[in-house]
Amino acid sequence: MSGRRLGRALLGAAVIAAALLPLAFERTQPYYVQLAINVLIFATLALSWDLLARTGQLSLAHAAFYGLGAYTSVLLTTRAGVPIPLGIAAGGVVAAAVAVLLGFLTLRLRGIYFAIATLAFTETLRVITNQLPFTGRATGLIAPALLGGQRAAQYLLILGILVMLVVVSWWINRSRWHFAFIAIRTNEEVAAVMGVDVVRFKVLAFAISAFFAGVVGAYYAHVFLFISPLEVYSLAVSVGALVAPIFGGLYTTAGPLIGAVVLRAGEEVLRSTVGSGYPIIYGFLLAVVILYMPRGLAGLWAAATARLSRRRPMREVHAG
Amino acid sequence: MLTDRREPGIETFLQVVIFGVLRSGLYSLTSVGLALAVGVVGIVNFAHGEFLMLGAFLGYWLFVSYGLDPLVAIPIGAAVVFLLGAGVYRLGIQRVLRAPELNQMLLTFGISIFLQNLAIILWGGDPRVATVSYKANAVSLGALTVGVPQLVVFGLAMGLTLSLYGVLGGTRIGKAMRAVAQNRLGASLLGIEVDRIYLLAFGLSTALAGTAGMMITLQLSVSPFIGLLYTLKAFAIIVIAGLGNINGVIYASLVLGLSEAFVEFYVPQGGGWAEGVFFFLILLVLLVRPRGLFR
Repeated sequence: MSGRRLGRALLGAAVIAAALLPLAFERTQPYYVQLAINVLIFATLALSWDLLARTGQLSLAHAAFYGLGAYTSVLLTTRAGVPIPLGIAAGGVVAAAVAVLLGFLTLRLRGIYFAIATLAFTETLRVITNQLPFTGRATGLIAPALLGGQRAAQYLLILGILVMLVVVSWWINRSRWHFAFIAIRTNEEVAAVMGVDVVRFKVLAFAISAFFAGVVGAYYAHVFLFISPLEVYSLAVSVGALVAPIFGGLYTTAGPLIGAVVLRAGEEVLRSTVGSGYPIIYGFLLAVVILYMPRGLAGLWAAATARLSRRRPMREVHAG
Repeated sequence: MLTDRREPGIETFLQVVIFGVLRSGLYSLTSVGLALAVGVVGIVNFAHGEFLMLGAFLGYWLFVSYGLDPLVAIPIGAAVVFLLGAGVYRLGIQRVLRAPELNQMLLTFGISIFLQNLAIILWGGDPRVATVSYKANAVSLGALTVGVPQLVVFGLAMGLTLSLYGVLGGTRIGKAMRAVAQNRLGASLLGIEVDRIYLLAFGLSTALAGTAGMMITLQLSVSPFIGLLYTLKAFAIIVIAGLGNINGVIYASLVLGLSEAFVEFYVPQGGGWAEGVFFFLILLVLLVRPRGLFR
């Protein structure tokens, strides 16, 4: 037992060291800090998407909340003089509020219908943003810089946001919510009969998930200083948010994070070797993972450690 | 596309109706393929538009390299895309037939991303145009004008859609497909080789998309990015028709084609709003009548 505790402490220390490592390159290799910021944005999107997926809802609306957060914050800070941190928080709140509305509207829809409806919602937002006069239409908007544009401080902020999300995710998987979520995604009717308040949990999960997507969208805007409808409401954002958890391991806290880090690093390599068309790897991985490793990297890891310690692999209900 | 706004009147109205009806032909052909995959195989294929895109590239290359008119080359393109679709079925789709719906969707999503980026790597992302000799020809009926390629494509697409209805309604293989769609187990008990029917239906579904793609070569530019838009529009149409309802596809295509034409023409800045019409329709139908309008 103490050996395991020591192992965990070492793992924790290694994760903290790795998380702070990019700061060491701030002077010499500013590119690494920027890359690390990108990775954490991606990881936050992935983990927040996974929170919703735990209730069995496969959303293609993550880009919608990302974009809503970005536009809310940029409009508030440039037009109403709101301080940037407040704008970012407001971005999260607006995204969550819209998610509650969308959640109630799409509650009856399941599986593929839900996915199509959320995709339609995202694209509708994009079309509307393209047409409205005060959103800069298709050209986009310029955003003020967060924390005076200091990359190190910006990095610490997104790290803080991600840590908050990790705590939320970890708490959910340890609390009674965990069982409610599993019950809902396994069989909604049975869950309702057993006394799980399905509506409440689904909408709550949607709101929390959207809140973080909105915050990270707003953060993105103030770090990269420019947003456009095509970019923030892009299907690529929603797809990225779902590929990472599926690749890393659905319904876990570590899976989406590992998936995001591995994929984003791999993307960076491919971008320089293959050039345009590098997202081909996302398509390939998605197909391979669905066909051959439905529990993702976390599943492989669990199987490997189970074999090592000669225990039966933990059985869990999952989509694969 | 309609960019100049003429004075409103009955002629304008008729012209808009004609535009809407004409574009619904390609929509029908594309969507009836997707409806076949959804209705018979039970797969919501997110990669449907990519097969259309591959068909369009085939049409383009056959025209540029061998001077083959895309319409003449349709049988070649349809056969090639059919084989491709059958291959995708054997390698991937077949393995997830009994998997959860979300896994099926994610797999086709992966295939879609893969095919699109493969096309980018092979042919680059720039749009290409095949200029056939009759591209700019038009016929006039009084004050109304209709482009020749649009008219021909509409006729062919509607003809193919209706003949698919004929095949499903009147032939042994079509009846087998409908039997499998209704009850997989029951059909197999009657001696229908379910797996072969699935393979045929999926291949046919992609071949229909490929054929639509070859027709697009006549009117619009070809690029790796055209697939997604058609996937989404085909979704809108089969959602309007009711998921899996093959017969409603023509009516639903008319609904979409006409709504787009009217928005484009009569709404200020209509061009921008028109690209959102199908999403509004999807949202509306899913929220108000998820079974579809034509069922």
